[in-house]
Amino acid sequence: MSDNFEQFIQQNRAAFEQPGPSPRVWDALEKELGQEKKGRVVSMLSSNWFKAAVIALLIINAGVLFLFVKSKQHQKNDLALMIPEMQEAQVYYSSKIEARLDSIRMYPAGEIGLDSAAMRELELKNDTYKMLEKELKNNPGNERIRAAIIRYYQLKLDLLDKILEELEAKNATPGDLKKQYEEKI
Amino acid sequence: MKASENNLNQTPLAENVVDRCKKGDVRAFREIYDAYSAAMYNICIRMTNQVSDAEDVLQEAFIQVYRSIGKLEKDTSLSAWIKRIVVNHCLNYLRRKKVYFEEVGEMEISEDTGLDEAQFSYTVTAVKSAITALPTGYRTVLNLYLFENYSHKEIADMLGISESTAKTQYMRAKEKVRQIVNQQNIMN
Repeated sequence: MSDNFEQFIQQNRAAFEQPGPSPRVWDALEKELGQEKKGRVVSMLSSNWFKAAVIALLIINAGVLFLFVKSKQHQKNDLALMIPEMQEAQVYYSSKIEARLDSIRMYPAGEIGLDSAAMRELELKNDTYKMLEKELKNNPGNERIRAAIIRYYQLKLDLLDKILEELEAKNATPGDLKKQYEEKI
Repeated sequence: MKASENNLNQTPLAENVVDRCKKGDVRAFREIYDAYSAAMYNICIRMTNQVSDAEDVLQEAFIQVYRSIGKLEKDTSLSAWIKRIVVNHCLNYLRRKKVYFEEVGEMEISEDTGLDEAQFSYTVTAVKSAITALPTGYRTVLNLYLFENYSHKEIADMLGISESTAKTQYMRAKEKVRQIVNQQNIMN
């Protein structure tokens, strides 16, 4: 139950209020936010850069699919030509692509700036690749499909290199960065 | 609405202001600042007892509001969320000033002042002056309960003390204010 003192405070609550802070508070805040916003813009640019990279990857996929569709019109079955050559290419590019993906995964997700769907798109064996691989098995001698796969490997490798360059330019080594991030958590 | 959210929002805010602020819109943040800065400044003044320190704490708190607003969930009250950030910054300020909130034994609790309130009158000036003169620990508990409308349990959680200690500190603070106001009445 309220006593006289508490009742007095409740009845005169407004009289205990002072006017707001001096303009210096907002001025200081604005200055601080200006610096933060610059940081945010850099971060957004970098994030957009990665988004652009993933869009590029999707375009690569689309291009590969286009080649594949066209190739359907010129299918040939020449298994002898395909297998050793493609196996070599697969081993060569897969190891390089996986190594780069491993390096990228060393960075915290927040630094990479890609959601899980976009990250899946960066993986070597995404849906486009799996579909091409299946078709190649069905049509092992088709040169257009083989060329499309090789081109797919090369473009993906270039794209991953560019992402890594960007991450390395922006940050310290991935290990250091991950450590800092874990410390923050 | 919780009691601690009362008297906070001075200006009605546009519906999408939080979403705009989450996207880094400084004008939206200014709208939030304009709506809440006066009420929040009063909290800082009451808690720090110093104009310049109150402004510094307010500034720090609003920087955190800007940085953290992305984490504000849709169903959370903006006013209560900002208020809690401001109060936490005030408490951190007090901790930096080495103000400790210690437990009080059950036996030490006493509400009986011996003062007859009918014998003297309260004025805003006298009460303000008395609260300003309180030891920091008492003043903090009194402000959080009486002006910021937090419950004894919430205050206990904030200060890391038991609920009974929060209650006792409040009783003592109130008693101290009465004594100071009574002294002022006698002197006048």
